[in-house]
Amino acid sequence: MANRGGAAQRPNSQTQGKICQFKLVLLGESAVGKSSLVLRFVKGQFHEYQESTIGAAFLTQTVCLEDTTVKFEIWDTAGQERYHSLAPMYYRGAQAAIIVYDITNMDSFGRAKVWVKELQRQASPNIVIALAGNKADLANSRAVECDEAQAYADENGLLFMETSAKTAKNVNEIFLAIAKKLPKNEQVSGAGSANQGRRLVESDSSAKTAGNCCK
Amino acid sequence: MFRRSMPNARRNRRMNRSNQLSKAVETVETMEESGEQGTELVSHHGVILKSHKSYDCAGTLSLMQYGRNKYIEWKAAEVNVDSDTQDHEWAVVSTGRSSRHRSNSECARAEPLRLNTVNLKSFRVSRHRYGQHLTFAQRGESRSFITFIFHQGNADVFVKSLLGQLKAYRSRRDRNLYDLAEEDSQETQELRRSFAELNLFPETAPYGVWNFIGQFRQRPYEATMGAFSKITDALLYKPAENDDSSVAELLNNSLMEEDAVIANVSGEEYEVIGSKATPILPSRPPVTRGAPLSVERWAQATAEDGRVTDVTAIKKIIFHGGVNPSLRYEVWKFLLGYYSWNSTYAERMCLRKSKVEEYYQMKQQWKSMTPGQEERFSDFRDRKSLIDKDVKRTDRVLSFYAGDDNPNVDLLNSILMTYVMYNFDLGYVQGMSDLLSPLLQLMSNEADAFWCFVGFMDRTCTNFDMDQAGMKLQLTQLHTLLSILDPQFTHYLDQHESGNMFFCFRWLLVLFKREFTQENIMRLWEVFWSDLPCPNFHLLFCAAILDSEKETLYANNSGFTEILKHVNDLSLKIDLDSTLSKAEGLYLQLMNIESELPDSVRTIIGLEPLNPVDGDSENDSIEDDDGDCSNHTEHDSSIETVSLGALGGEVAFERGINFQYM
Ligand SMILES: Nc1nc2c(ncn2[C@@H]2O[C@H](COP(=O)(O)OP(=O)(O)OP(=O)(O)O)[C@@H](O)[C@H]2O)c(=O)[nH]1
Ligand SMILES: [Mg+2]
Repeated sequence: MANRGGAAQRPNSQTQGKICQFKLVLLGESAVGKSSLVLRFVKGQFHEYQESTIGAAFLTQTVCLEDTTVKFEIWDTAGQERYHSLAPMYYRGAQAAIIVYDITNMDSFGRAKVWVKELQRQASPNIVIALAGNKADLANSRAVECDEAQAYADENGLLFMETSAKTAKNVNEIFLAIAKKLPKNEQVSGAGSANQGRRLVESDSSAKTAGNCCK
Repeated sequence: MFRRSMPNARRNRRMNRSNQLSKAVETVETMEESGEQGTELVSHHGVILKSHKSYDCAGTLSLMQYGRNKYIEWKAAEVNVDSDTQDHEWAVVSTGRSSRHRSNSECARAEPLRLNTVNLKSFRVSRHRYGQHLTFAQRGESRSFITFIFHQGNADVFVKSLLGQLKAYRSRRDRNLYDLAEEDSQETQELRRSFAELNLFPETAPYGVWNFIGQFRQRPYEATMGAFSKITDALLYKPAENDDSSVAELLNNSLMEEDAVIANVSGEEYEVIGSKATPILPSRPPVTRGAPLSVERWAQATAEDGRVTDVTAIKKIIFHGGVNPSLRYEVWKFLLGYYSWNSTYAERMCLRKSKVEEYYQMKQQWKSMTPGQEERFSDFRDRKSLIDKDVKRTDRVLSFYAGDDNPNVDLLNSILMTYVMYNFDLGYVQGMSDLLSPLLQLMSNEADAFWCFVGFMDRTCTNFDMDQAGMKLQLTQLHTLLSILDPQFTHYLDQHESGNMFFCFRWLLVLFKREFTQENIMRLWEVFWSDLPCPNFHLLFCAAILDSEKETLYANNSGFTEILKHVNDLSLKIDLDSTLSKAEGLYLQLMNIESELPDSVRTIIGLEPLNPVDGDSENDSIEDDDGDCSNHTEHDSSIETVSLGALGGEVAFERGINFQYM
């Protein structure tokens, strides 16, 4: 188990502004490193022998963006095709998705494209999609060229980064990039959790900072 | 939406504020002066207070908590209309605060109403062309009623949350009637009069009920009229002063007298729903676990030639206490059907020899696949790659599988690859490596582990169905069992977007493999493999775990996400023996009321159905009554589909999705 890299920034007690909450779902073929990315992002850890995900896992992590606190509600799904039919349960209502592939595995890139199509067709229309080419530390066995993936991402309006859950490369960065791209003032209505009666909490100072992005 | 579907005449009427409603305000204000901060437990928008004869007001009906008391609170909808028009259909059932529907400005000025639930005697749900009615009856002599019309959406979610929050008993005769348990609080007496003081219905006492009867009279359905004529009489003339039975009771009694289980007499105005009781469980008998099957007992049960006698007794011991670890290597082969109990030593030696041969033969098949063959055989390649990915991350924290180049990881791989050749159609599905791992650790021997795995897969292969049918069926069955074992908790789950039981997916898929240590999972599995005391005992085991967790879920008011997270986080925290005892206790409770169990439950636990032809398609959830579920209330005559009919796997899943996100 490697333990490099810290967890993402947590909001400190003086955080100004509003807290925005977003539902994010991770999709992608089995063993591309979805759970590993989440584990790195949420706990700052990496497990070489991370067990496969059965059903789904739910985690949360908060990042600070200028004076906005963004809380991610992360759904980590099982990647195997057999469990594909369960995926809509998780991506419905999601405001963001990270579609992960393994840069050493061309098939996983093809699978990622299928996910992109499915989300474009079936998920919330304004969903922010990021493409993560994971296992960037294994560039020696690279099967998917960075340029190719970048071009595909550009064509489809996706955020794109090559990441490594193992070395922590670009892990916090990809989540932050998503946080930046998310519309902070509209997310109430689309929040999957709205139906559960959970609402955004305004911190004390929100009145003073009302001019900021989270209105 | 409100405007659009209201009749014009009604829309144009003006609000006529009554003194009576002003009194309601006073009550609310008095309470607010006392400084109590209320907590909203659930709310429903688009509910019309059927309070005044000339005007109907839409608003929000909530269940609120103030201090120790819970209140039914109704407030007129605010005039401000949220510009966001997304999710119109669902906005009304969301518990979110944003009010997205329009309302008349007159309505907005209607006064709020608050009723202490300790003063409520019962409530009843009925159906009407413009939406479901929820009628509350007050305790005591005054016999007042108040009706709310669920103009938007239906009342189910609200009713279920009432059931989750209040002590309520469904009437055995009228399944739409719920009696509220009497709770004696200090305020009871003083607030008891709230209805009477409010005197919301100056001329015609219970407006909603009058309305009900009025319409009912115009449509005298032959089948139901006999049963209801009594009620009609009682209501058309104000009941005698000292007659303290409520309308609810009248409805109830009348139904009882006629034994009027009149199914779905549907008319344009009304529908009388047949009544069907949810059996009440007796208390749970205490159950203690036994000692594991001992070496001596096993020896005693094994005849000289090796046949195992006394199989029933042996299985009983295993069910109650498992198997002594030193015997597992031997006993599991019987439990998993590799060896037959009736075989002799000689036969087993012979069998094993041929099975070992067969194994290596099949192993040779994939081993000898040339790269070219593989290249042209994508189905094979897919399976191979899945196995490859999974064995690398199966139980690597256990010393048996730890470290780089561990030969046991290769064995895991070989056995799974061979299983692909044994059953290519099923192939490999994620989760199977979890099931194999303890078997291999126990057997050490590749071929023995393989054949035990085959036996295990024979029992559990439907978990890996392409269309998830096996999993959906189990989740549905679990819901069905829970609805008898713990109706309140079931309502809670339904109300919290978890009626699909999806949070139990991992438990069921790999039979709790991820929830227990290797030692404990071996114990649990051998108990399951005893096939005692009934089929699907593992579902009772689920129910037992949930029984221990429900208080936490209630306390946190957990929804879909929190429930799933909580359940996932139970891993390695579940006490095995006490949970097994509880699961057996649940079984005994069910058997105590065996004759009252609906067929949907009987078939799950292996009892003969009582009505094998028509089936018992009654499901105790309110959904069955609704028009909006009509697409799946069709009754099929075969048992299997009956249990799937009303709460069918597909439907249950879909419902979960809908509730959550749409
Ligand atoms: N070298 C390297 N290995 C990684 C990286 N990320 C994940 N892995 C390894 O890849 C394997 C699979 O990772 P998981 O995180 O379990 O993959 P997943 O996408 O969650 O897989 P499923 O749960 O089956 O859908 C594990 O053995 C990880 O240790 C990475 O960035 N670099
Ligand atoms: Mg995973």
